[in-house]
Amino acid sequence: MSAAEKSGDLFNVKKLRRLIELMKEHDLSEIDLKEADHHVRIKRGGEVIATHSAPVPHAAARPAAAAGVPQPAADAGMLIIKSPMVGTFYKASGPDAAPFVKVGDRIGPEKTVCIVEAMKVFNEIPAGVSGQVVAILVENGAPVEFGQPLIKVDPGA
Amino acid sequence: MFKRILIANRGEIALRVIRACRELDVETVAIFSEADRGAPYLELADEAICVGSARAADSYLRIDRVISAAEIGNVQAIHPGYGFLSENSHFAEVCRSCDIGFIGPTPEAMERVGDKNSARALAREAGVPTVPGSDGLVSSEQEAVRVAKEVGYPVLLKATAGGGGKGMRVAANELALANAWQQASTEAQAAFGNAGIYIERYVERPRHVEIQILGDQHGNIVHLWERDCSTQRRHQKLIEESPSPRLPPETRKKMCEAAVRLAKAAGYYSAGTVEFIVDQQDNFYFIEVNARIQVEHPVSEMVTGIDLVKAQIRIAAGEKLGLTQKDIVPRGHAIECRINAEDPAHNFRPCPGRIERIIAPGGFGVRFDSHATAGYTVPPHYDSLVGKLIVHQPTRQEAIKTMIRALKELRVEGIKTTVPLHLEVLANTAFHEAQVDTTFVERMLAG
Repeated sequence: MSAAEKSGDLFNVKKLRRLIELMKEHDLSEIDLKEADHHVRIKRGGEVIATHSAPVPHAAARPAAAAGVPQPAADAGMLIIKSPMVGTFYKASGPDAAPFVKVGDRIGPEKTVCIVEAMKVFNEIPAGVSGQVVAILVENGAPVEFGQPLIKVDPGA
Repeated sequence: MFKRILIANRGEIALRVIRACRELDVETVAIFSEADRGAPYLELADEAICVGSARAADSYLRIDRVISAAEIGNVQAIHPGYGFLSENSHFAEVCRSCDIGFIGPTPEAMERVGDKNSARALAREAGVPTVPGSDGLVSSEQEAVRVAKEVGYPVLLKATAGGGGKGMRVAANELALANAWQQASTEAQAAFGNAGIYIERYVERPRHVEIQILGDQHGNIVHLWERDCSTQRRHQKLIEESPSPRLPPETRKKMCEAAVRLAKAAGYYSAGTVEFIVDQQDNFYFIEVNARIQVEHPVSEMVTGIDLVKAQIRIAAGEKLGLTQKDIVPRGHAIECRINAEDPAHNFRPCPGRIERIIAPGGFGVRFDSHATAGYTVPPHYDSLVGKLIVHQPTRQEAIKTMIRALKELRVEGIKTTVPLHLEVLANTAFHEAQVDTTFVERMLAG
């Protein structure tokens, strides 16, 4: 047994794998574990979120965390513009028009970022946030539901 | 037949409609609010679309979003379930103008029967007895006093736009009337946006007996006999059964025929329910029409063997009923208990929360209609119905025995439910002897 396992470190990859196996066996969909200032939440069907809720006193913990646990680091600190309605997403005001925003654009809260068409009404959707456009998450002409992530924005950029 | 329909509802009725569609090879689009995200029944639909945040007004009641979902979901029709938009004639009208089938009556028929006061007028036209009462809305307190004197005390003040047992006040005499008038009008305005009040004689200790009707778009209307829903608490139904025990056959026949007459006069098709109260002398009086499929529809399904939801879908698709009245022969006795997430030990306060474990009862003549599963969290934003337990046996006595057995087998752990109340009612002598009226549960609880 490695030192990490002995110490009961939550971020041990073998332990996490075993946890996931146990979840499958017992048909659990979500577990949420805390140990000192380590916190792990595992949801079957996608996310594994492993975070430190306080500065980690043991340097040994960090490499384990970095090693095998998939960190959704790409999304940390990003803002998501979500659809306020049900309808069809359009990135531009017309088929030949330039898109409202492109990746890399700097935008402010008033900027129209897309159109969601509902019942023949073309609703311009304002950003509501400031930052740099990192990704357009929906294809042009695709149906979107309420709350669906549309555009990812980096507020720090 | 439709290729795809959208279910504009949630919970157990959404599941019920999904099941009917699967058997008809109709694809389904379910909608859900953020509070219902991840609910297991959604996985049984072909597609599920989020229409808003938890509050019903921000999701299930948003006509624009429901229609948008119907459009992006590519459906030919919408089934509205019960509650929410099911009796909203404006919604039915919007569906029609968007060329989306509405699985229910026409907006016109819905309006004719939906307004309680106009339904009374329709009943009088169709020769259906109504409770003695005001000729229309009562416009002032003075008029209320005059009408009440004519009709005879005690009187019941009812909101014309009301429903679900809300907006009603009893006045035992002229002194109590002024107060009752004030309260009823204010409450009606606040709850329904319509202060209109009409007055009826208050029938003491009535039985609530309703007739299930079913009509197609070709003018055929039949009834599926009655359901007795007298076991209520605060005007909310708890237990429903068919046939209505102690209802004379002649009365039953007249009520069923009256219901069909009324539906015909209203130009009504699809499934609907005509509600009556029956007094101690077995006189029956029309109360209102519920222009939708009802919670307790399984009771009628069990005694007639007819799948009402499939029938609704077929009717909406233009098919003929394929049934005449003499084909509909009731068999045996069916009882339904509504299992609500409420705590009988604490005045039935709602108990939303996570169901840790659920064991459904089974066996001969047992049906459990529920969207709940282990790990499911009952959200606090909607009604507290967790499931419906229905039994069907050759006699009432056997049905009661089976229901008690099934209720004891049913396990819902993690939240409180009304199961203890159902067991108390079913053990009660008055219930066994069918001496039950709408005041029974409250009298039993008061001890």
